[in-house]
Amino acid sequence: MFEAPPEVSSLAAASREAFAAWVAASAEGRLFGQVLIRRCSSGYSLRHAEDAGESNLEAHEDPRSAREIAKLTERGEYRPLKSSPNLRRGWEIRVSDSVELAVAMNYLYPAGIVHWHLHRGGRLGITNFRENAARQSGIYKRVQRLSDRGVQDAARACCEDAVCLKKTLWDVDERTPLEMRRGDGEIPCPEPCSVFISFARRVRLFEREERDETGL
Amino acid sequence: MKALVIVGHGSHLNEDSSLPVYEHAQRIRGTGEFDEVVESFWKEEPSMRHVLDTVESEEIYVVPAFISEGYFTQQVIPRELGLEGPVTRRGSKTVRYAGPLGTFEGMPDVILERVGDLMRGRKTSGRTALVLLGHGTDLNKNSGGVIYMNARRIRERGIYDFVEVGFLDQEPEIGAVVEGVAAKNVILIPVFIAEGWHTRETIPEDLGLTGEVTLLGDKTIFYGAPVGTHPSMANLIAARARETAREEPVVRSAT
Repeated sequence: MFEAPPEVSSLAAASREAFAAWVAASAEGRLFGQVLIRRCSSGYSLRHAEDAGESNLEAHEDPRSAREIAKLTERGEYRPLKSSPNLRRGWEIRVSDSVELAVAMNYLYPAGIVHWHLHRGGRLGITNFRENAARQSGIYKRVQRLSDRGVQDAARACCEDAVCLKKTLWDVDERTPLEMRRGDGEIPCPEPCSVFISFARRVRLFEREERDETGL
Repeated sequence: MKALVIVGHGSHLNEDSSLPVYEHAQRIRGTGEFDEVVESFWKEEPSMRHVLDTVESEEIYVVPAFISEGYFTQQVIPRELGLEGPVTRRGSKTVRYAGPLGTFEGMPDVILERVGDLMRGRKTSGRTALVLLGHGTDLNKNSGGVIYMNARRIRERGIYDFVEVGFLDQEPEIGAVVEGVAAKNVILIPVFIAEGWHTRETIPEDLGLTGEVTLLGDKTIFYGAPVGTHPSMANLIAARARETAREEPVVRSAT
């Protein structure tokens, strides 16, 4: 049974209702990043996908507990990139409605459901690397001089599923697609993130060193 | 509906940088003043590029969790959020952009509350100096200027024998200020947003501090936690947002 979604006035509200409906439409639940979301009698249940059959999980009812869960890996390492495939296991969050579901999801995968919703509707704006680099300033301005090859290498090192579970939708520029495995997950990546730009800056420093050494 | 977006620097390396933003956001949520309170960061997610899409409210207040007016508040934050000035219309949304926290008139009170916490139950005799410690940079005079402004405002209240200012990356250097001040008790308060490498390591190391209270020659140094982590900063953030409500949206002719 589907309830008619309430009238929504904003993109964020439309996204959460679409996401909740997508979850409700699947009996076995939906996988988003490493999180399995299932409709349950009291609302929605979220847990690590690898804990699908577990019954002895640490129980949470506050959707904001997702922030603490997403903060550190199993081994206690800090997770600056929430879409890294190292979300810890052993927890379950039960939330009562689509608003709480969106709060929890936005801590587990920040802006993930709004990007998912826009992408499904073919309306997600993509910002390619060159366009992103053009607006950088300060210590990141140097990424503007990173070669196409450098961007390709950085994306392969930073953005494939072994490092980030988002599906990379951006390219070097309009005419130069990324040559990488873009990922099959549900969470789209519309633009190079700050972790990528920091890494790209390092790669550019290596390029400069190499040029200085070879005199080219 | 009304939303507050608190923008912090964040870090790729540790959780210290974003923690006060999350904590203040939670405190402000508890007041019920805003329908939504959302965190956003330069170096963490959600990024400023995408945070406004996650907000349902039409009336949005953006408050930068930064001490001084400078590179981040004037260039990076407006650029990344797509702001055109103090008030930006974006579709059906109105985004109001507040100034940084350090220049706000309520800042001296938060500094003094931090001092109160540090000195509670501690007796001192002799002259006492309050020293405000800023990061400072020779690249932007506002960075140091905001520390001087707060020192002046506190000095006017006549609480301490001296109110001085010292910096990490510009003159006067903090070590020389602490050494030179003619007071037996020196209360040292970092005017920083978050705990981190400087407050935990470089400052204590450079000054030879061993904890909250250190005897250093003939002086007793009382070293406080950064102002930015004080719970009262939440009130300051909310007040900063409230203040921007007075700005009228720029009326644009239809194109």
